[in-house]
Amino acid sequence: MQVRIGIFICDCGKSLSNIDFPKVKERVEKFQEVVYVDLSSSLCLEESREKIVSIIRERDINRVVIAGCAPELKENVFGKVIEEAGLNCNFLSMANIREQCSWAHESDVTNKALELVRMAASKARFLQPVEKKDMPVNKQVLVVGGGFSGMKSALELSGLGLRTTLVEEEAVLGGKLGEFEGFYGIETTPEEMLSSMRKAVEENGDIEVFTSAEIARVEGQAGDFTIRIRRGEDKLSRSCGAIIFATGYMTEILPQDFQLKPDVNIISRRKLVEMLQAPGELERRPGTIGFVLDVSDENSRLPILSTLNNALAVKERLGSEVYVFCKSLKVDSEGVEKLYREARERGVVFLKFEEKPRISKKDGRVKVEARDVLLGEEVTLLCDFLVAEEKVLPPEGTEALSSMLNIGTDSAGFYQDENVHLYPVASERKGIFFVGGCKGDLDFTRISTDISSATMSIYKLLSPEKVMVEVEKVKVEPEKCRACLTCVRVCPHGAIQMVRVDTEKEVAKIYDLACDGCGICAAICPAKAIRFEGYADEQILAEVEAIGESL
Amino acid sequence: MNREDNKIVAFCCEHSAYQVANKAGKMRLHYPDNVRIIRVPCAGRVDVQHILKAFEKGAAGVLVMGCQEGACQHLTGNTRAKERVKYAEDLLKEVGIDGGRVKMVNLAPDMAQRFIREVKEMTEKIEGR
Repeated sequence: MQVRIGIFICDCGKSLSNIDFPKVKERVEKFQEVVYVDLSSSLCLEESREKIVSIIRERDINRVVIAGCAPELKENVFGKVIEEAGLNCNFLSMANIREQCSWAHESDVTNKALELVRMAASKARFLQPVEKKDMPVNKQVLVVGGGFSGMKSALELSGLGLRTTLVEEEAVLGGKLGEFEGFYGIETTPEEMLSSMRKAVEENGDIEVFTSAEIARVEGQAGDFTIRIRRGEDKLSRSCGAIIFATGYMTEILPQDFQLKPDVNIISRRKLVEMLQAPGELERRPGTIGFVLDVSDENSRLPILSTLNNALAVKERLGSEVYVFCKSLKVDSEGVEKLYREARERGVVFLKFEEKPRISKKDGRVKVEARDVLLGEEVTLLCDFLVAEEKVLPPEGTEALSSMLNIGTDSAGFYQDENVHLYPVASERKGIFFVGGCKGDLDFTRISTDISSATMSIYKLLSPEKVMVEVEKVKVEPEKCRACLTCVRVCPHGAIQMVRVDTEKEVAKIYDLACDGCGICAAICPAKAIRFEGYADEQILAEVEAIGESL
Repeated sequence: MNREDNKIVAFCCEHSAYQVANKAGKMRLHYPDNVRIIRVPCAGRVDVQHILKAFEKGAAGVLVMGCQEGACQHLTGNTRAKERVKYAEDLLKEVGIDGGRVKMVNLAPDMAQRFIREVKEMTEKIEGR
C-alpha cells in the first residue's frame, strides 16, 4: 500500500509566535509522500476534528501527522478522530512543537519545528496497524493464605460477586490473628473476629476452601491462570483470572540480635499474651515489666503496635510498672500516636536509647542497663519480666514462591512494597496482588485498606468478563526467534512464555494482557525478533535519521 | 562551530523525562534549542544501535533519560539503559569519540531544572566551552 501522509499543523490559536508557520507549511509540503498539509489554529476543537476526518477521506490519506501540543494531552483524541475516518488508530504520529519547541525556547525555532515535523513524518511511514480485541477473562479468583488478610480478601471479593478459591497451608483457617492480645480501641477481640470471619467464609457459597493445601505451580497470565494445588496426596487444578497472595509472616521469637537466651524472666510477646489472658494463674503479680524494642528492625510496625497494646493491657490487668526501651517509636500508623499518648498518661515510661541496652540477670530478676539519650544518664532497671520484641520475617517458602512467580522481593525478603509506580498492592505481574503480612508491613489499618484496594483492582480487571487489549502491539516474529530465552528472563512483567509451534521448535510468545509495553525485550533480543509497534527499531531509527537530514 | 553541528538526541522515557521536558516548556524555562527529543516507552527500549545511529547521522551528543533508580515503572528498564549507555560509551571511545558525549540521566517527572542543566552541560561540552 502506498504511503500517503497527511500533516496537520496547529499554531495553538496563533500563540506560538516564534515559529514561522507559513514557512513550515511550505517546506513540509516538499517532504516525500506528503499529500496534504493543513495549517490550523485550533485542531482540538470539534469542527477541526470533523475537518480532519473529511480531509483524510477525501485525499485518501493513510498516515496522519499532528504537529501541535504534547502527545499526552491529545493523543487519544486524535486517535479516535482518525479511527472515525476509517484508519487504524496507530497510524498517528505526533510532533510536539508546543511544549518542547516553541515554549521551551526564546529565539526563532522555525527550523527546529520543521525538524520535529520531519521526524514525525519519517516515523509515520513505518507505522503498522494495531488491532484491538476483546479478550475473555476468567472471573474466578485465587486467594493464597487463610489468615486475616486472606479471609478478608475472599469475603470482600465475594461481596463484589467474584467467586474465590481459598488455599491455606494449615489445617484450620486463622493464621496469626489469634496471637494478639487485642487491639486497643477495637471492642471485638481477635478471637471473636476470627470466629466470625471463619464462619462467614465457611458459610459463603462463593468461597471454596482448601485447608492443608499448598500451591504447587502457577501457570498462565492475567485473566487466565492455571493453578496446581497439592493437598496431601491429592493434586488439584483450578483456573482463575487473578491471584491474591496473603501468605503472612513468621516471627523469630528471641531474635539473635539480642543475644538473649530464653529464660523464665525473658519472655516473648506471645508468652505475655498468654499471661494476660489468664492472670489468675500467675504465682504473684509482677511488679515491673520491661519491653525492649527496635533492636533488630526499625521499620516494622508490628512490634510497636503490639508493644503499645500489651503495655496498656499490662497496666489495666496486672497493674505493674511498665518500662519500654526503644530507639525510635514510629507512630505513623493510624491511631498509634493516640495509643502512645494514652500509654504515657497511664504511666508507661518510655526510655530512648541509641546503643543497645545491656541485659543481664541479677537475683532472679532481669537487669537492663541503657543510656537514655533524652535524660543523658545511665538508667538501670530491675524487672520481673522482660518482654523481647519478636523479629518479623517472611514466611517459609517465600523465596521458592517468588522465583516460581518471577516476582522480586525486597532486601528483607518480603514482597516488594516500594515501587511507587506499582501502587500499594499490585506486583510487577498483572493480575497478581500481595496483601497483608507478606509485604512486611503489619499496620492493621493499612492491611485493611490494601485488601480493599486489591479487591477493587481485581473487580475492575475481571468484572467486565472481557478486557480490551491491543493485539500483538509487541510481537515476536516466530521465524526470527532462536529460542534463547533472553526475553523470557528479562521481561519485568513475566509476560513472555515459550510456546511450541511445531514438533521441532519452540518460540517466545508475548501475552497481550500481561504486557505493559516497556520494550525492554525488543531492545535486548539478540536476533531482533521482537517488534514493538509504535517504537519499532525502524521507527526510532527513522526519527533519528530525520534529525541528520539537511533541511 | 556551525549551529547545525551541535545537535543532541535525547531519548526520553515517557513516564519521566518526556514529561519533564513538557513541564520545562510549560514553565517557559528556556534551554538550548539543539536538543531533539525522541519519545520512548521506557529507557530500557533504547538500544545501542539507536545511540550509534544518532552519532552516525551527525549528532554531537546523546542523552538517554529515564526514571530515577528504584522508581522505574518497568523495574529494570533504567538500569538496563545505563548498562547499554556504558556499552555504547566504550564503543565510541574506541572509534575516538569522547565518552562524555553519551550520558544516562535519571529524572523524576518534576525535575525540570535538572533536565535543563543536563542539556546545557552537554551543549557546553559539545561546543567546547
